[in-house]
Amino acid sequence: MMKIKAKPVTAGVAEGEAIVSHMAISFTGGMDPDTGIIKEPGHELEGKSVAGKILVFPMGKGSTTGSWQFYAAFKRGNSPKGIINVKAEGIVAVSAIITGTPMVHQLENDPLECINNGDFVKINADEGYVEIEKNK
Amino acid sequence: MLEGKHGRGARKAMEILVAYGECYSAERMIPVTSVHIAGNYPVLMDEGIEWLEDLAQGGTKVSVYTTKNPEMFDFEDWEELKVPEMYQERQRRIDAVLRSLEVTLTYSCHHYLLGNVPRFGDHIAWASSGSQVYANSVIGARSNRDGDHVALAAAITGVIPEWGMHLTENRRGQVVVETERLNLEGFTTADYQAIGWVVGKIVGDKIPVFVHLPADSAIHNIKGILYTLTVTGAVGLVHLVGITPEAPTLEAAFGGTVRPLDRISIAQKDIDQAYREISFSSEEKVDIVMFGCPQCSIQEVQEIAALLEGRKIHPDTELWICTSNWVKTLSKRMGIYNRIRAAGGRIVADVGAADGPHLYLRERGIKTVAINSARGSYYAHGIFGMDTWFGSTQELVQTAISGKWEGNR
Repeated sequence: MMKIKAKPVTAGVAEGEAIVSHMAISFTGGMDPDTGIIKEPGHELEGKSVAGKILVFPMGKGSTTGSWQFYAAFKRGNSPKGIINVKAEGIVAVSAIITGTPMVHQLENDPLECINNGDFVKINADEGYVEIEKNK
Repeated sequence: MLEGKHGRGARKAMEILVAYGECYSAERMIPVTSVHIAGNYPVLMDEGIEWLEDLAQGGTKVSVYTTKNPEMFDFEDWEELKVPEMYQERQRRIDAVLRSLEVTLTYSCHHYLLGNVPRFGDHIAWASSGSQVYANSVIGARSNRDGDHVALAAAITGVIPEWGMHLTENRRGQVVVETERLNLEGFTTADYQAIGWVVGKIVGDKIPVFVHLPADSAIHNIKGILYTLTVTGAVGLVHLVGITPEAPTLEAAFGGTVRPLDRISIAQKDIDQAYREISFSSEEKVDIVMFGCPQCSIQEVQEIAALLEGRKIHPDTELWICTSNWVKTLSKRMGIYNRIRAAGGRIVADVGAADGPHLYLRERGIKTVAINSARGSYYAHGIFGMDTWFGSTQELVQTAISGKWEGNR
């Protein structure tokens, strides 16, 4: 098991299966709030659902309306359980704040290199660290 | 405010701002002079309306001039537009809650033509990625990419955390963008949008510095680059050397420091590739031609009216010019409104061409959209599942007349 220091964006603890994107994500136009499925054509996660997962990606992009999309996905049970960003950006940070989703960023090691799809990841945004159990 | 002395809404607003500021290590709150909020029904959905109604409970009001982005239908023409009752009910609920918050009900994304005009160096909160980058890059006001929740919180409290674009040291250019290989003289506004599409994909959240745009570039071409850059990238500020107030020279754009720079150079083949990426249709028959993402200015309405002069649009194709109620009123006064009607088109106020009419248009069988906005094409396809063609204003007018896609790419 690997433990990495991280900077909290919100509070709380979340754990679950990781889904990793090396590409930025837009919640507006890029994610379906009814399913949590990424639908941007050509996106690395196209066709995959982020619902109930620990979502690891570099940063947000696209329209600033993304926090409403994320809020609806959350209310419908289709948002990720926790978020790890390389560097937090406003849209994703606010999405996490208004939904109480545990979120960290600025990890001591690059999360896109340490975490793979299917790894079991625990975010502790109260104490500022991430734990990774590799999927064998 | 955090103790709730100014009411529940103000407390909730301040909680958002404090948490948001903390995540960016902001040292203090600073006053804002202008706010613009964005979400309409397709964006808010029922959950978002409930969130707003909860915020407004107990008499919460905005404390600075706050304007509102477009909604789904023209408040004056809902009958003619055959707007289903469900959507009418939702839009009227949003209208009621915004009225109670004392938001100025512009329903426009060209609010900077409607009196919401910050001054150079003002700190503002504009929650609409396109107009935010316009404020930073053309006006020289300072706004981060604040979503609606943060912008509303700023409108209520009158302050915003000082971070990012509010600080001079974060406004320096990072990537030089060269366009000298392009023949800009022959470029349409659609071609300028293709430049923005390409550059946004490359720069991500870095601040681009355009070095070859003529200082007298038309505002619609500048907007074409800016509004599209925010779709493919997370760009909040673009330095257009000789145009952006903070960037009279390349040195000024980089804050006076000369250092090794990232440089990109755009070629015509990149522009051609962008066109292939921005259209999402292969259907020849076009159901509707839409202008106005961002909403058309009176000059754009005049241009379309001139192209339509003495011609009739195809009976199976609709033509919508989306704009503000202000421009619609002006067009009536100037006789343009009736000329557009005579050609078979319509001017629709209070909506933008990617802002939600697609929900009810789709319900009456409209599927293929031709639009002169890359941003509009991306969102109409991504959010509303429309088949979209992207092209120039001239190509779109031609398409409306023949009923078939007339773009040459």
